[in-house]
Amino acid sequence: MNEDSGATRRDLLAAVLMGGGLVLAYGTLALQGFLFLLPKRLRPKTRLIYAGRIDQFAVGGVRTIYDLDGNAILVKRGETDFEAFSSVCPHLGCRVHWEAEERTFFCPCHRGVFDADGVAVSGPPADAGQRLAQVTLEVDDRSGVIYLEVRDRGRRSA
Amino acid sequence: MSDTSTETRSWGQRLSELFPFDWELLRHAGAEPVPLHLKRWWFCLGGTPMYLFIVQLVTGIMLTFYYVPSPDHAYASVAAITQEVRFGWFIRSLHMWSSNFMIVAVILHMLRVYFSRAYRHPRQLNWMVGFLLLGVTMAFGFTGYSLVYEQLSFWGATVATNLAEAVPLVGPWLAYFIRGGPEVAEETLTRFFILHIGVLPTAALVLIGLHVLLIRMHGVTELKFEGEEKVADKERFFRFWPDHVTTELLIGVLLMYLLTILSLIWPADLGEPANPNVTPEHIKPEWYFYFNFRLLKLTSLKVSVALTMALGAIAFFWPFIDSWLERRFERHDSIVTIVGVVAFLGFLLLTVWEAFAL
Amino acid sequence: MTLTTKRYIVAALSFLFLAALLVVAFQEAKRHRVEERLEPVITARNKGCVDCHSKDGPALVMEWERSQHAAFGVGCVDCHGADESEIDAWQHEGAWVAVLVTPIDCARCHVREYEEFSQSHHAKAGEIMASLDNVLAEKAAGTPDNIADAVNGCWQCHGSIIRFARDAEGEILRTGKESKPVFDWQTWPNSGMGRLNPDGSKGSCHACHSRHSFEAKLSRSPENCGKCHMGPDHPQIEIYNESKHGIAFYANRDIMALDKQGDWVLGRDYSAAPTCATCHISSYMTPQGQTVANSHDVGERISWTLRPVVSTKLNLVVFEDGFKEDFPHTRELPEIGETLDTTEKYVENEQLATRTVPRRVARIVTWEERRAKMKGACLNCHNDAFVDNFYRQFDSLVELYNEKFAIPAKQIMDELIADGVLRRDAPFEKTVQWVFWELWHHEGRRARHGASMMGPDYTHWHGMYEVAKHFYQNFLPAVVEAAEETSPAMGQKYEARVEALLAQPEHVWLKGLSPEEAEALRQMYAERYNQ
Repeated sequence: MNEDSGATRRDLLAAVLMGGGLVLAYGTLALQGFLFLLPKRLRPKTRLIYAGRIDQFAVGGVRTIYDLDGNAILVKRGETDFEAFSSVCPHLGCRVHWEAEERTFFCPCHRGVFDADGVAVSGPPADAGQRLAQVTLEVDDRSGVIYLEVRDRGRRSA
Repeated sequence: MSDTSTETRSWGQRLSELFPFDWELLRHAGAEPVPLHLKRWWFCLGGTPMYLFIVQLVTGIMLTFYYVPSPDHAYASVAAITQEVRFGWFIRSLHMWSSNFMIVAVILHMLRVYFSRAYRHPRQLNWMVGFLLLGVTMAFGFTGYSLVYEQLSFWGATVATNLAEAVPLVGPWLAYFIRGGPEVAEETLTRFFILHIGVLPTAALVLIGLHVLLIRMHGVTELKFEGEEKVADKERFFRFWPDHVTTELLIGVLLMYLLTILSLIWPADLGEPANPNVTPEHIKPEWYFYFNFRLLKLTSLKVSVALTMALGAIAFFWPFIDSWLERRFERHDSIVTIVGVVAFLGFLLLTVWEAFAL
Repeated sequence: MTLTTKRYIVAALSFLFLAALLVVAFQEAKRHRVEERLEPVITARNKGCVDCHSKDGPALVMEWERSQHAAFGVGCVDCHGADESEIDAWQHEGAWVAVLVTPIDCARCHVREYEEFSQSHHAKAGEIMASLDNVLAEKAAGTPDNIADAVNGCWQCHGSIIRFARDAEGEILRTGKESKPVFDWQTWPNSGMGRLNPDGSKGSCHACHSRHSFEAKLSRSPENCGKCHMGPDHPQIEIYNESKHGIAFYANRDIMALDKQGDWVLGRDYSAAPTCATCHISSYMTPQGQTVANSHDVGERISWTLRPVVSTKLNLVVFEDGFKEDFPHTRELPEIGETLDTTEKYVENEQLATRTVPRRVARIVTWEERRAKMKGACLNCHNDAFVDNFYRQFDSLVELYNEKFAIPAKQIMDELIADGVLRRDAPFEKTVQWVFWELWHHEGRRARHGASMMGPDYTHWHGMYEVAKHFYQNFLPAVVEAAEETSPAMGQKYEARVEALLAQPEHVWLKGLSPEEAEALRQMYAERYNQ
């Protein structure tokens, strides 16, 4: 920077202190601003929701249960157990649906097909060796109540 | 084009081929001599609102990340900002205090310009641009506060838009336009929102740009104060960079410090959520409209609106009224001072009166 | 000022600003974030209900929203949803619902609790219709056209038989454009513990688990039981309030973990005092560090029945289909595998009816085992000698009541009936019947309950004292009076009968104390009161 007189130590110290102080102070403010903009939870919490009773599910059938964000979760009752899949196609995020006759999950966007266990068998997801994300499901044997573990974004109602 | 393939050029040279900015222009502008009187703090009141405007811009954009402009969600989103988002209370409080400071700074700046007669020929246009900026600032405050959708937000907006209806000729249409309908409803909030984050910022930027341009084009009025000897040129001015810039930096940091302290001690609060079915006992607008509100209570709807418009017009065209006064009266200087003092005191009186009244 | 000075000032201000920002950061870290209470989950099938009823009955919706049900997304339709074929089902805003949510509906999820409750004495609370209590309410206090005493009194605790308003042909009346079935206004609203429901189930879960917040805190509190378990004939809540258990509870209510989600275990989650639920229902720790599960069968830990004229110990016979029957210890126990004819009550044509059902015995639970289950709770705070001696104290009071008053009085009443002085079909014709009724049903029970739950004043002054006084002062004279009304000869017979009774060693004091006892008494009053 330009100085009228020669660069004396006192002038330099003043300049450095000022520059340093400004950087630290505004830098802190910027950091706080950055934290402000960061979404509330980096790792979203989950919670259990009631998804129905065993007797509401036909063996071999798939029912749709909605999570807290309104996304569809596909719950399949197998011969001996239950499985729950996210309906979001791992390829590019379109929504898959259950084709009862084929006993597969089908994604209409690029004709991806998943078998009854959620593993991709045809289309781009199969090429990439993908599968439908599984949703944790709990069955209370005594009462026959089914719970799904879904994401809780902590949204407040109006 | 010169042959650049084999020459060794510095990076700076290469960059200036991509971006052929005339740096000389900047250096020239930076070397602009600033009259000495600007070393007095009274004269830094122009930069203050501009700095605060930037603060508002930044904090406002940040708040928009979380704010939802729908009556069903507005209040809850503000509550979420205040209670849940990290540093949400702080950013919101900064925004709130900065808006109050900005209006105060604009008014003080206006007073300074008025009493130092800096609006005189050839600077009449700049005064008018500045006055428009005052209006924009107050509109910012009004629309911004309505977005919180508290009881006072809702009912303040109702009262204000009803006032707009009393404007002669265009009143009803104006009110309809502002509200987006016959009464304050969902459409009103959306309109206020886009006014606050879109229309008004654009207008402000354009007007500020115009304001600064006009100042630079006209050059800063060189003022002499009594008792100042005529001094050598070298000592009549000081440098824009680094001296004046450092002053501005100083003001900036001081303002941030004050705003932070105020945000810590008196953070932005949250009243009752808006209830269109329940009118609160005491409705009050924001403090910078108190003078208007008191006027309304003292007179009637039509009279207060007419009076406000008349006073506004006088203020807007003041440079021309001033030159007419100069031609007409010998002691016009005293008249101008008296008018200014009376106007400001009147404003203060009405404001304070309303503040203490229920 | 010079540039350098200005720079120093800027530097100073920057550091001040920085310091202020650090305070902001500190405040932010310290800030008490709004408590993470789980928001209610309103699923698609329940959204319509919530939207409308948030205006039409907002407090009800608000109660549900703060319930554990709402935290899991169990809402309106999940409980009120009904099958079209159900008798009280109607189509409301597109969904088939029933107003009544019965234990069977709760059992959609709460299976174990339903199984336990449905076989318990609580579920049978509504079966008192044929009892003398009912006679008093409907006949003594009511008229043929107005049984409001039963409706507002007895039934509100014991439970009504849910009936519908019907037309001349017996069809259920329906109202409104949705054909909502109309209840018989006398029988609904009713949250009685043993309410008899149209779907055949017995009971009402929300008698204790008040809707729609279904708070555990409420169910675990003694006041909850006190709605019904109070009053002159079974003042359990008053006794509890008198007892040290109650005192300890009220002093330490806030550390009782009453609103703990999930298990609520004595000796692990709380320790300050037992509530009604603690001893009669809830979980407790065993000396081996295990948790004994709770049970909604409130009779599981009961070894005496303090209800009847003469108390007996209670054995339990459990049949293969889960049906349970209390066997007084005087009744011979069957063999396991044996088929017995059991009587059960049920509702037919909206009336209480009895039927006999043969059932096979699956297992026997003796009164000692039942008592041991209760003792398990006691042992969390008291040692064995303490607990065992308590039970001996308690047993001895029940036996005293039985032996000195109940059995002799009952014997005399039976004789009066046999002699035709009293008629079975006119149970409250004569004074002696009222006196006898209260002797065992009111003060007799008070005494026994007082001893059972450590309420000394109820045991004595409200209990055995009144038993004794009414026995001597009211009952015995009333016996003679009733006999005399029949004939002078009968009067004489019973006078002699009473004389013989009073000559017994336990009654002979009435005629006079021994000289030593009398002297001691006189001296005591002289010393104490100078009288």
